[in-house]
Amino acid sequence: MTLSENLFENLRLELRRGCLTLAVLAQLRREYYGYTLRKALATHGLDIDESTLYPLLRRLEAQGLLASEWREEEKRNKRFYRLSSDGEKMFSQLLEEWQAINASIDATIGNNASGVTNASSDNTL
Amino acid sequence: MELLDRYLQAVKKHLPWDRQEDIIAELKANLESQLEDKEAALGRPLTKVEAEAWLKEMGLPIQVAARYLPQRYLIGPAVFPMYWYVLKLACFWSLIIFTIVWAVQVFAGSTASDIEFLGVVIRIPGVPMTTVLGVLLRMPGVMMTAAAWVTLIFAAIEFGIKRNPPICGPLAGAVTDWSPATLPPVDRNAKNKPRSFAMAAAEVIFGFLFLVWLLLVPGHPWLLMGPGAFAFHASPFRLAPVWIHFYWWVVGLNVLQLAWNCVDLARESWQRPQPAKQIALRGFGLIPMVVLLAAPGNVYLTLRNPASDQGLHGAQLAAINHGIFMGAALICILVGLQLLWEIGRLSLNSYRRRAAVR
Repeated sequence: MTLSENLFENLRLELRRGCLTLAVLAQLRREYYGYTLRKALATHGLDIDESTLYPLLRRLEAQGLLASEWREEEKRNKRFYRLSSDGEKMFSQLLEEWQAINASIDATIGNNASGVTNASSDNTL
Repeated sequence: MELLDRYLQAVKKHLPWDRQEDIIAELKANLESQLEDKEAALGRPLTKVEAEAWLKEMGLPIQVAARYLPQRYLIGPAVFPMYWYVLKLACFWSLIIFTIVWAVQVFAGSTASDIEFLGVVIRIPGVPMTTVLGVLLRMPGVMMTAAAWVTLIFAAIEFGIKRNPPICGPLAGAVTDWSPATLPPVDRNAKNKPRSFAMAAAEVIFGFLFLVWLLLVPGHPWLLMGPGAFAFHASPFRLAPVWIHFYWWVVGLNVLQLAWNCVDLARESWQRPQPAKQIALRGFGLIPMVVLLAAPGNVYLTLRNPASDQGLHGAQLAAINHGIFMGAALICILVGLQLLWEIGRLSLNSYRRRAAVR
């Protein structure tokens, strides 16, 4: 991996870290156990390593944002997670924040793009 | 699957004992579901090689287990900047204090050793070379000890803040609570200002006058000592020949500095900061001090009439000679340290400039 690729990978991971929590909270408005949650996220284009997702679920549960219960399904005991009431509130707040950030970035990119367009049209005139 | 059980067992070993069973049961259920899906997709069980590759992809057992643990660090990001600042101060001052204590001990010693430097033999009382070497070797240990204590104290602060925020909160507040009003004033260092023509010309004029004064001193000692010159003339002591060498070195250095300043003025280069010139002049300035330190037998004053005055003034003479030697040695050390400091600063500035260009 080159230095530039390595830097991109680090920045990409940093960017994804916060989004993953939001995605997991969004997905857990319905009940899932670890593996099916991972599959559900993957179908939406968000691949997460097992070694990242499963500990994340534990942390979110410890923070009171998720509720879990052990239940038997297909002859196997599984731990099912879903959003707690605190988690629902937190999810709404985070979603609002994420949308605001997204809008700001879109606006910034839009301004820059129009700025570049204006500058180039000024040059041609 | 035996390989999966072995993998889970390896992960379990690194988990906290109170949550081991729970985490492993969940991980096992998830991995078994994943395995079933994989086998269903292939229409056959995984081969040993495929199973190994799959588990390898999961990660090293100790790393997988570590992700279930709370983030662990001795000193967290909130306290770290303060820790780093104190650590640097502690390492620096521990070395300074150690050097001062060692120097005091050495100069209070009674043995003597000779150091040969560029063919000049310098006699230093109480400083065997093995002692100097021993002290240098002990310096890293002194720094490590200071660093260990600082780390220990900050780790305790971090632990306290994490475990008992209400009790250690004020301590954390002391680290983060600050006011812009307490910041030091802007450094308006005169060294950063370009030198004016008037300043450069004044340096040449006063340098010339100083040189004239210096050249007049041997014929008119009162110019240097005032009325003390007559008192000295009447005393039983006289200057040793080493002062003649010392004097001509001082004259030579002043001629060099004057010439350098004249060249700067002629080339109109007085505005440019010349740190290398300052360092070179300070380095040359060490030469007269080394000449003094190398005086044969550390003799700076002698008796005018040794035969008659030895009994009366011999002890006094020895004390004066010893005092002059100690003074010269101290000045030499201070100038040497200042020189090293300036060389270090120049190197650092040069490195910063190069880094800024890159």
